[in-house]
Amino acid sequence: MLRKMREQEQTISILVSNQPGVLSRVANVFGRHGYNIKSLCVAETTNPEVSRITLTSESDPDFTEKIKKQLEKLVDVVEVSDLTGPSYIQREMMLIGVPVMKQEIHSDILRAIEMFGCRIVTMSPDYYVLEITGLQDETAAVLKYFQPFGVREMNRTGSIALLRHLSKNISQ
Amino acid sequence: MEIIGADIILKTLMEEGVEVIFGYPGANTLPIHDRLMNSPIRHYLMRHEQAAAHAADGYARATGKVGVCLATSGPGATNLVTGIATAYMDSTPMVALTAQVSTSLLGQDAFQETDIIGITMPITKHSYQVHNVNNLVSTLRNAFELAKTGRPGPVLVDIPRDILASKCDPAEETSVSALKTNGKVAESEEQIEKIAKSLNQSERPIIIIGGGIKLSNSFHLMRALIEKAKIPFVTTMMGIGSVDAANGYSLGLIGTHGNELANSIVHQCDFILAVGTRFSDRSTALIEEFAPLAKIAQIDIDPTSIGKSIKINLPYIGDINEALTALLPLIDEKEKSDWLQRIHTEQEDIEKKLSGGGCGEAGNFIRMVQEAMPKETTVVADVGLNQIWTVRTWKAHSPRSLITSGGMGTMGFSLPAAIGAQVGTPEKAVVAISGDGGFYMNIQELATIGYYNLPIKIIIINNGHLGMIKQIQDLFYSSRFNTIDLGTKVDLVAVARGFGIPGSRITVNENPRTGIEEMVNTDGPYVLEAMVDPENYVYPIIPPGCSNIEMIHDRLD
Repeated sequence: MLRKMREQEQTISILVSNQPGVLSRVANVFGRHGYNIKSLCVAETTNPEVSRITLTSESDPDFTEKIKKQLEKLVDVVEVSDLTGPSYIQREMMLIGVPVMKQEIHSDILRAIEMFGCRIVTMSPDYYVLEITGLQDETAAVLKYFQPFGVREMNRTGSIALLRHLSKNISQ
Repeated sequence: MEIIGADIILKTLMEEGVEVIFGYPGANTLPIHDRLMNSPIRHYLMRHEQAAAHAADGYARATGKVGVCLATSGPGATNLVTGIATAYMDSTPMVALTAQVSTSLLGQDAFQETDIIGITMPITKHSYQVHNVNNLVSTLRNAFELAKTGRPGPVLVDIPRDILASKCDPAEETSVSALKTNGKVAESEEQIEKIAKSLNQSERPIIIIGGGIKLSNSFHLMRALIEKAKIPFVTTMMGIGSVDAANGYSLGLIGTHGNELANSIVHQCDFILAVGTRFSDRSTALIEEFAPLAKIAQIDIDPTSIGKSIKINLPYIGDINEALTALLPLIDEKEKSDWLQRIHTEQEDIEKKLSGGGCGEAGNFIRMVQEAMPKETTVVADVGLNQIWTVRTWKAHSPRSLITSGGMGTMGFSLPAAIGAQVGTPEKAVVAISGDGGFYMNIQELATIGYYNLPIKIIIINNGHLGMIKQIQDLFYSSRFNTIDLGTKVDLVAVARGFGIPGSRITVNENPRTGIEEMVNTDGPYVLEAMVDPENYVYPIIPPGCSNIEMIHDRLD
């Protein structure tokens, strides 16, 4: 893309009507303008008629404003907000499966689990499944640490975010 | 007879004020086409679904009402696509109804099944597939509301055959919640005051009129504003006719095929009030050099149209009608200024330099056609040289009197759109002007025109070539002509006669008046094939990648 300058990761929350086909309309807006969705998370809100799409995309701030306007034009979109910046808490969850080939690395793994604050979801004599929650940088660091052990499986949710302080507006 | 989904559709269309549907039946539309016999809604059977969409578009542009087209599933639906995209680009309010295979067959690659919702997603404002007969009424209501409010555009409603045919108890109707309406964003009065102040203080102001003036019915307000402040105006392709070009303040069309005066004055002005225009690449040419001295105020109802391609100093998101109503009393009444005098002088210089308005004998011919036709004539121009000749020479006196495919540039638009315009305004004369290339693209609609005996005057300006492409190859591809020769072997008058429509062939620089007279004096439709020199280009023209003032006046430039 030509727009590489000033690109940074933006987190956008899109409240949409909870119906088939809506995600494809939203994704279309990004695709049509040549922007890649880096991570995506969709879930129902406290109102079952409304879902929240939280996504991250690398773009410049001007573009976020433009894409926000485009998204707001979609009939199924209720509200678009930019969740980028220090006012927002961001988290993603990652699951990794680590095989234990040699007995002596058990203690290394257990130390790392403690240090990173990972949770053991399931374990057997030759396999651990770990759960890590944190900023994308943190989950990435954990993944990097365990890679030499031979991470067999990995799946991550992509970022979700929430306002850090009590909001004056009633949100979904 | 039991009430079925199709009855509900027709009843709702009636309640929405629909009088006419342009359509084409298929196995899956049959419940609707069957029940149409009991409905006062008139159905025009086109000869191609693409033409049905263009006709609905032409109807909407000529009347200001929502145009409706109807096609069957599969190929019927996909044939609508070019017409829907054309309407989308020019913001025409339209509802496209497509039949779909029964819900039990959806996703099974059933006969004539296609995912028309997926296909049309980027070219509609929204689309609905109805899965419950009790949702039909509210879905259609939402579709019409959406098509005509905010920035208008096409909305598609896809209805499976079993829903069309299923029994229905009106008492069980449920409403599909519209989570949001096409909300009006009310911009502050303060912004209007700022715009007024800047306009009043400017020394060299101009107004750019886009298609939004027609769409918001703001002709009178715009005219009042121009006359009060004595501001010259230019129009985009879509804005032509919004204000009578003969009122003394018109500088013509801007952009790559625009008038030299319009482009030159935009380059010199210090303030632009842009109303209902999105600053498309065709209007601005090289965006970096567009109006370098101007402060720009833009009024538009679509937030995405503001500042999309160009930096706006004073944006106003909202209804044009409301904005102009608020703006008008704040604008100072002015006397004719030095600025107007300077423009007038420049105009005289340009006229001396460019005889015939840069459109040659073809332009003169179109002028003769307009003189021979009644004052209240609607002209529908196709795409290509014929379009530029028409928009540059036809004096559009009233707002809806010049119709053309601006954003999409759809060849073959004029004939079916003229059908829609004629059906929508039977009291007016309608002229369709196309080139030979565009004429071939929807030539089958001669059958529709003949069948309904619609008195459309069809003019084919025939140069035997794809003229605009020929000009581009001539000027910018070192005259390496290729794939543009259509030949003149086809006897288009005989073709017309074969469709039951009388006609004649003339050569514009020999005997134009005889053909025009015969056309005007013939009741009903008429085909006038007007032969022109293939070297009759449009000047000035802006080369690709150049700014609005880097115009070429002839091939030697």
